[in-house]
Amino acid sequence: MKNLRYLLREGVRNIWSNRTMSLASVGVLVSCLLLTGAAFLFSLNINAAMKSVEGNNSVKVYMKVNLPVLSSVKAGQEIKKLDNIKSCKFIPKDQAIENVMGMLGEKNANLLSGMTGKDNPLPDAYQVSFQDLSKYKETVSQIKKISGVESVNDYSDIAAKLTKVDHIISTVGFWVILLLSLVSLFIISNTIRATMFSRRLEINIMKSVGATNWFVRVPFIVEGVSIGLVSGLLGSFLLQLLYGSLTRTLTSITMFTPLPMDALAASITGWFILAGCLFGALGGIISIGRYLKKEGGDIVDW
Amino acid sequence: MIEFENVSKTYPNGTEALRNISVKVDDGEFVFIVGQSGAGKSTFLKLITCEERPTSGEIIVGTKKLTELRRGEVPYLRRIMGMVFQDFRLINKMTVYENVAFAMHVVGASSRDIKKRVPYILSLVNLEEKAQCHPRELSGGEQQRVGLARALVNSPKILIADEPTGNVDPALSFEIVDLLTQINSRGTTVLMVTHEHSLVKHFQKRVVEINDGTIVSDVCNWEVDA
Repeated sequence: MKNLRYLLREGVRNIWSNRTMSLASVGVLVSCLLLTGAAFLFSLNINAAMKSVEGNNSVKVYMKVNLPVLSSVKAGQEIKKLDNIKSCKFIPKDQAIENVMGMLGEKNANLLSGMTGKDNPLPDAYQVSFQDLSKYKETVSQIKKISGVESVNDYSDIAAKLTKVDHIISTVGFWVILLLSLVSLFIISNTIRATMFSRRLEINIMKSVGATNWFVRVPFIVEGVSIGLVSGLLGSFLLQLLYGSLTRTLTSITMFTPLPMDALAASITGWFILAGCLFGALGGIISIGRYLKKEGGDIVDW
Repeated sequence: MIEFENVSKTYPNGTEALRNISVKVDDGEFVFIVGQSGAGKSTFLKLITCEERPTSGEIIVGTKKLTELRRGEVPYLRRIMGMVFQDFRLINKMTVYENVAFAMHVVGASSRDIKKRVPYILSLVNLEEKAQCHPRELSGGEQQRVGLARALVNSPKILIADEPTGNVDPALSFEIVDLLTQINSRGTTVLMVTHEHSLVKHFQKRVVEINDGTIVSDVCNWEVDA
């Protein structure tokens, strides 16, 4: 198209001449993208957590506190005899307390200095991995029946809870995002409609000298796409900022390690820009479409 | 050539704007269209520019049958026409030059052609010195000349002027119509709607009178005067 540069310039001029509404559109679209992105990242993290839990393919079997070591070893032999057992690693309570002290770091390890030897409150334990995950529950219940076993750290409950949370977030997120998408579309198309009304005379003249509908349409689509582009970039930047700060906080106060943003940043920015541009273009097409359908009197207005 | 064959137009609200009219305007003619308000003059023009479609009958503009014209072809039909409006329809934020250049941008003219053509057209309507002025800085007559320049810039075959002198002083009205006759003398067909009998009388041209949706007379002024 010979006039592409002219049309692009006109589109950008539209945004400037209608900057308040354009700013409102960017605000709503950014909110929508942020919520979508947040829900997506949450779901990704939940999935990663579930995979790590399930992928571990193992449980921790805790013996009764103060159970003699020999009894613990005997229980371990019985665990190994079960069908579905791949490996069974003994974790004596002395090693367990050392592990905890290691996790607390040098400064805080002193807090547990009186809990070694006979005063160690931790039980002996086994790290048991399974051959077939489909027999997970069955094997866990068999282990629980072995004499000396106090409890089995059953990850299937955690996985089920995580799945439930993910499902709730996905469902609520879907409806919230759908609603916000409609609001964004409404606001963008109204922003463009406002520009269109302010340029009504120009459109009339364009039509009277033989402008094709696409020629009239392009600046408004450019306006919408530009709003979408800015929203996409801004939304992606804000999401990365918020996610970064949230993950830093989470990592410092919990054992959970969220997915690093570095690996996701490029695809999130790409999707945000794509979604923003699509929404913007759609808003432009909707608002100008109805107007251009009129081929009647009020185009030239005789 | 513009030809109406038994054309009728009834609007959806039941208003019969035109009733079975037939008229032919040859290439290079100058035709005044007169008639009272609501007589059907606007509908007549709208049918030529394809803003409205006839309820019945056939309209031919050039070689195109307008009843067979698809929506997508309408802009290209309008490119052989220039339109001049009573209220000038100039874009106030644009300069005179930009207002005229705008019409060329719309049809995809190159920047080089625009730079060459716009000053030439402005000189034709004696506005080359006002090229950088905004419409508000011009008199009514000058504004209408800008409108005329814009209508002419794409070299139309047909010029449609809807009461172009309606908003200018009587003395300037003659100047505007004089410009139209000059354009006509170069081969452009001119259709001009007007209420001003003095103009119609002064410029000895063909006059089509529409009343109540029908053509009540179609004469040449000099024939009447003779």
